[in-house]
Amino acid sequence: MLIGNYKESYAADEALFRTATSRVWLALLGVAAAVFPFLAGDYLLYLANLMGVLAIAALGLNILTGFTGQISLGHAAFMGVGAYTTAVLAARLGLPFWVAMPAGGASACLAGMVFGVPSLRIKGLYLAIATVAAQVILEWVFANWNAVTGGIRGINVPPARVLGVALDTDLRIYFLVQSLAALHAWAAANLFRTRVGRAFIAVRDRDISAELMGVNLFRTKILSFMISSYYAGIAGGLWVYFTKVVTPENFPLSLSIQFLAMVIVGGLGSIKGTLFGTVFVTLVPELLKAATEATRSVFPDAMSYLAPMKDVIFGAMIVAFLIFEPHGLAEMWNRTKRFFALWPFKK
Amino acid sequence: MRKLRAMTTFPAALLACLALSVPARAADKNEVVIGACQPITGRFAFAGGAINAGLQDYLAYANENGLVKGKKLVYVYEDSGYDTEKAVATFKKIMAQYNPVIMYGESTGLGKAIAPELNGRYKVFYGSTSFSSELADPKNHPYSFVSGPTYSDMFGILLEYIAKHRGKEKPRVAFFYSDTEFGKDPIPYARTRAAELGIDVVAEIVTKVGAVDVTTEVLNLKRARPDYVIFQGYVLAPIPEVIRGARDHGLKTTFMGTFWSVDKTIIDKLGQDAEGYMGVNPYAYYWDDAPGIVAMRKYNEKAHPGEKYRPNSYIQGWFTGMVYVEALKRVVAAGKPITGDSLKDALATIKDWDTGGVTGKVTFVSNKAAVGRVYKANVQKGIFEPVSDWIHVK
Amino acid sequence: MELFVQLMVSGVVTGGIYALIAMGFVIIYKATGVINFATGELMMLGAFFCWTAMTAARAPFAVALVVAIVAAGALGAAVERVVLRPLLGKRTISVIMVTIGLSAIFKGVAEILWSGEYRSFPPIFPRAPVVLGSVILPSRQAYPFLIAVAAIALVGLGFRFTRTGTAMRATAGDQATAFGMGIDIRRVFSLSWSLAAVTAAVSGVVIGAIGGISPQLGAVGLRILPVVILGGLDSIGGALLGGVIMGILENLAGGYLDPLMEGGGVKEVAPFVALVGILMIRPWGLFGSREIERL
Repeated sequence: MLIGNYKESYAADEALFRTATSRVWLALLGVAAAVFPFLAGDYLLYLANLMGVLAIAALGLNILTGFTGQISLGHAAFMGVGAYTTAVLAARLGLPFWVAMPAGGASACLAGMVFGVPSLRIKGLYLAIATVAAQVILEWVFANWNAVTGGIRGINVPPARVLGVALDTDLRIYFLVQSLAALHAWAAANLFRTRVGRAFIAVRDRDISAELMGVNLFRTKILSFMISSYYAGIAGGLWVYFTKVVTPENFPLSLSIQFLAMVIVGGLGSIKGTLFGTVFVTLVPELLKAATEATRSVFPDAMSYLAPMKDVIFGAMIVAFLIFEPHGLAEMWNRTKRFFALWPFKK
Repeated sequence: MRKLRAMTTFPAALLACLALSVPARAADKNEVVIGACQPITGRFAFAGGAINAGLQDYLAYANENGLVKGKKLVYVYEDSGYDTEKAVATFKKIMAQYNPVIMYGESTGLGKAIAPELNGRYKVFYGSTSFSSELADPKNHPYSFVSGPTYSDMFGILLEYIAKHRGKEKPRVAFFYSDTEFGKDPIPYARTRAAELGIDVVAEIVTKVGAVDVTTEVLNLKRARPDYVIFQGYVLAPIPEVIRGARDHGLKTTFMGTFWSVDKTIIDKLGQDAEGYMGVNPYAYYWDDAPGIVAMRKYNEKAHPGEKYRPNSYIQGWFTGMVYVEALKRVVAAGKPITGDSLKDALATIKDWDTGGVTGKVTFVSNKAAVGRVYKANVQKGIFEPVSDWIHVK
Repeated sequence: MELFVQLMVSGVVTGGIYALIAMGFVIIYKATGVINFATGELMMLGAFFCWTAMTAARAPFAVALVVAIVAAGALGAAVERVVLRPLLGKRTISVIMVTIGLSAIFKGVAEILWSGEYRSFPPIFPRAPVVLGSVILPSRQAYPFLIAVAAIALVGLGFRFTRTGTAMRATAGDQATAFGMGIDIRRVFSLSWSLAAVTAAVSGVVIGAIGGISPQLGAVGLRILPVVILGGLDSIGGALLGGVIMGILENLAGGYLDPLMEGGGVKEVAPFVALVGILMIRPWGLFGSREIERL
């Protein structure tokens, strides 16, 4: 609950972080993020980098699904397109990362158009099905277009270089990953303060009314799909510099489903929700393993029996969130904040 | 209820994250820690459990019999789900927590992804499930070894067998492989080797693993009329379908397979159609009389009385354990400290090592032990019998 | 020419099996508007139910098949009641995601109960192939095709001539009116899911009999997406015809194109390329309803 909040200009009112308190928290978060890599161990650092990369892709998916209401099951494949493009440009042509990555994003964009144009022309769930087709077809291309993608061997990529320093350890690439993630999150948040972003939301909520108001449905949906594919492509390019090798088996349908889970569990239509969702979906299997680990002294073979549980828990998580908490983690966060803000006035 | 939920969710989340920051376990000087990322779930689950069991059992057996003087072997494994990213995370976690000196990996993908850090930072002795020739490369992967011959070597053994048993005309061979990394790995080498040996490759047929309908593939085989068909990259499906389909169409082809395709389940599944099926296996089978295998059976009778049969993948894990222990023995005997470097150097000294018949005499060249045997199916007894001696590939 | 005929006939046989899977999919879509991405896993579970009955209880095939059908029917109804009922009226994306979540749960449960190993059915059909003139059909394709045809016929007749079937068709046509006429919509939904689970189970048994069973069998479920798009998402007749056409297309692509391409695997990709093409030209498929708005 905001009290004593007085704005004198539209700009101040529309700011992303409206109160001094939230700005202070944001600054603290920034400091924590900068200090984290020096304190965390290898394992957590690797996970943090992985989450940063996946978050960018998930943000793209949220723009498409959460804000524009279209379902895509091929997000991993578009990430793959970006990854391979970046890999080819970096490994074969020796282009620097700040050229190769945006090129990856652009090519993912174009790939998106190939599948988006026929399916977004029609209302309904056709994009979902078309993106499954995209997933199958693109995976086949990755594995079989030997001349370009190196077939099943894949492509080895040299590390990114910034001012002559090679980003070849987790610590060094951390800063690139997190700053790009922050940049894209900020861009996404700002997107929804513009006319374009509001058009997306209008298409999601009631497309007939949107059309009446002059929003061109087809162009809006395509634009949303292109932006979302661009995000996926950038994430792919970054991923390639992170893992330094790309093979066709890295972008399966299950990864697309994971992205959808991140977006839904986090909360559709909420930027911070997507970030929560990414962290949640990545960490839960790791937590499960840590739990199995803890019981190792009592049940030495627990791992073999509990390992498949992670699929069950993953699925159960999705189902549970959809039934009980449809607005996801973002809603849980907001409720917690409200509770503390209003205490003791509201139970 | 809402209050409870609101108050407990985020502190719980915070605590959970702290649980992930793993403290390093204090190292005991008389212990050697061996860590493993095993594909117990995921696409490779059919083999992951057995490989893990084999490795675990051999290390326990080594402890029981005090094979490494004065040291106790501690085995730590985690499931990595045949997912390269998770596997890398698991690898780092185990390294951070236990600081092992030996690691085992779940796939070629993990081997490739972790290579820069393995060579630069971790420097641990690394074995894996992979038979890929990419990892048998001392220049780029000095710490990795292959537990036997590579797929290319296996193909080479089969092609040489075919060349040796040829008739008057050039032998006609078809390659039938899956569109996975397993399937495609040895094919370029196989093509050149076949040309060298004067063998005609009349067809190359590629399918997905576990393909359901193989009618078109069988028809393509019928058109190509090969004398031999070599399967690569399949475990079960669609091999039985292809063999049966070929027999239905009256083809008299001899079918052959490499490591993953010569498990007993093929004979069980095919029944009479398994007649004439051949393959190359780097190891002996569980029913063999060699002393090494007998010891394996004895151990299982004691430790796992319910297990009647152990598949090839179990023996692969067992053999990898043997390699680890042999390297450890040599390092300890030479009085050197146990590190990844000393272990990999010890590996290079392994020449004509007698494994008690688990496989032929082992010499590690280029970080692989290119030895295997050709087997033929005996449908009456339901087993594979060797039709050649242990072949060492140059 | 002989090759062409063989490919066509095999295509029809495979297509029949696809048609059976597609039918279950379309039943749910017609009745409830939901795209069921858990179809593949329902197939897998059905196959495992039958296999367990045959190996653990040593039941003969026919009995095991009935057991699998009953179990699958119960599972379908349970899924509808527990998971889908709470989501009635919510956004479609939620429901689609729930089916995806369910598929993950089913797969995980299968891995726990039956482990990841490949299993095979004990021999069910006679070994000898079925020979029609110059065309040779393996027994494990020909007999399951007959089973599939029988199942489709049963379901089709059931829809036409029983009261329940008519009720289901009415609900699919116009939910509000059906409700107004006194049809219990909720029971229709339950029945639709049960029926879909049953058809999935039978197709799972068929596919398992051909290629073996493992928790990964669910991946086959994706193959039917091109089929239902070709046939029309809400047309059962379309599912049948679409299945047969896709079966033929796959076989022709495999027979003629695979040898040309170095990597092969054209057979897998061809139906999906066709899918994209269909979306561009005629998105409602062969027999789907044309109430699709174009932008």
